[in-house]
Amino acid sequence: MVNAIKWWWGILLAFGLLAAGRLFLPLPFINEVLIFSIYTIGCSFLLGRVGFISFGQPAYLAFGAYGTAFYLFYFGTNPYLAILAGVACGFIGACIVGPLFVRLRSDYFALVNLALAVIVFYMMQKVLAEYTKGDNGLWFLTNIASTPILNIGKSSDFFIFATLVAIGVWALYKYLDDTLFGACCLATKINEAKFQFLGYSNFKVRLIAFVIANTTTALAGSLYAVYLGSVSPEVTAAARTADPVVVTILGGVGTLFGPLVGTIAYTALRDVLSKFIGNWELFVGFILVFIMLAGEKGLWGSAAPWLERLFSRGKSADSKAEGQR
Amino acid sequence: MDSQLLLSGFIFGLSMASVYFLMSIGLSLCFGLMRIISLDQLLYYAVGAYLTYTVSTASGNVWLGVLAGVAISGTLALLVERFVFRRIYERELTFSMITSFGILIGGVGVIKAIWGVVPRPVRMPTSDLINVLGTEVPLYRLLVVAIAGLVYLGIWVFLNKTIIGKAIRAGIEDVEHVEGLGINVSRLFTITFVIAGAMSGLAGGLHAPLIMVDPNMGLEVLAFVFMVVIIGGLGSIKGTLISSLIVGQVVSIGSLIYAPLAMMAPFAIMLLILLVKPTGLYGSTMVKK
Repeated sequence: MVNAIKWWWGILLAFGLLAAGRLFLPLPFINEVLIFSIYTIGCSFLLGRVGFISFGQPAYLAFGAYGTAFYLFYFGTNPYLAILAGVACGFIGACIVGPLFVRLRSDYFALVNLALAVIVFYMMQKVLAEYTKGDNGLWFLTNIASTPILNIGKSSDFFIFATLVAIGVWALYKYLDDTLFGACCLATKINEAKFQFLGYSNFKVRLIAFVIANTTTALAGSLYAVYLGSVSPEVTAAARTADPVVVTILGGVGTLFGPLVGTIAYTALRDVLSKFIGNWELFVGFILVFIMLAGEKGLWGSAAPWLERLFSRGKSADSKAEGQR
Repeated sequence: MDSQLLLSGFIFGLSMASVYFLMSIGLSLCFGLMRIISLDQLLYYAVGAYLTYTVSTASGNVWLGVLAGVAISGTLALLVERFVFRRIYERELTFSMITSFGILIGGVGVIKAIWGVVPRPVRMPTSDLINVLGTEVPLYRLLVVAIAGLVYLGIWVFLNKTIIGKAIRAGIEDVEHVEGLGINVSRLFTITFVIAGAMSGLAGGLHAPLIMVDPNMGLEVLAFVFMVVIIGGLGSIKGTLISSLIVGQVVSIGSLIYAPLAMMAPFAIMLLILLVKPTGLYGSTMVKK
């Protein structure tokens, strides 16, 4: 029981604080943060744990978003089923491209993903325009049926749902870090050859990690679709490909709460800056370069040791006693 | 399909291939020698195009604009190399990728601040048509092809006949040995990076009259450039040339057959080639030491 509380408290505290922010922050801001952080954690996992940098995350976001959109626009009305459909689309998409992509070296991997994002954009805008309505996008806000208990068509209920989903996703990633699989991911990042000598398959570990990360990204895409009630090819435009990478770096690569902290900082920065300056991307780019040159630890990566020290000061007597034992 | 259409499609494909080649040679050279992925080449491409626009509207001469574009892109590349890349050569690949992407995004922001977001047209330097085998072909496209051919020749001579070029080729094989011979590797890096930036600027300047110049033009051409680089294999000049010819023709001929093919076909080819050879046609298996 005590261990369970210890395991959960970080996640619950983080999202409890965010939920408390609901009292004084606008609801759209928090919803955006919740969805965006789920979007980013996949990228953060790939970069920090598996050593793959993907500039093509918007492609997987689009798989999820369009899966949901097609379901709601053409077939059904239940938003929960729509989200499931979106996640299934993302899973299938990741399973198809995964075996092709994870064999590549990390540099090729990044370039191929970026190319994939551009291709998906083009497909949605031109090739499948008959079904996706091209640049106008699909609008299905009125198609979303109200559901009992949590009516996620309403943004206040959506907030509760998104918080629960985010807690689930974070628990999954924390669990992955603890398991043997998490250790395998790190091992393939750090030393491929040694890992192979131990009798593991680099390919399998990477493929599973790739599918997990990109299914999470697709989940974020479905949440976006349900939340906004519309999907357009804009979600996978080339200019947006940097977002998850920027947020990952801003928050701190490979840390559990980096994506969340990064998202809050990034969304706030964007909302504040875009009021004063038309092209806030300029700052995003330079912040990225600055963080990389200053040691790539990011906000959470720099704050975490400091917080830990602050927190463990009270317990230092215990830990000393334990150390002597 | 009649042969006239096919021929003009072929010339169109050659001119596209020239632009892709000029762009991707920068990426390829940087990877070969310094083991960095320099996504900011796409920024120099946009800068070259914008300077072509500004200078050609001010002076009325497009070629002057292209020259200015090359010069400024080269200077910009020099500055970026000095202040940013100099510090990160030692780091892993993903590091340079993220940093250069930051430079690209920031640079696009600066371009938006200077020139605005509205697409600008650039006047064609010559609107003459020339008769090739009974087909009227725009002279400018042929000139673009000729310039790219000259550049390839120039780079070949530079790499094979001059001492600096030989040092660069040796550096692609083994940087540490070159350094051990007493050659200033850091200066080699600077020279290569500036050449790469200038080539990207040239590509932008030459491409500008054929399309509209807008701040995100680097991101628009990005997919094709990456496909060229991936198909050819990073770090190989010959591979880059061949794959840019393939991609250019596929884009051009493909769009004659069925318009959406233009973008999907090179992507399909790229996937096929990666399936057979994960490092591209002429890519080496070298990794960062």
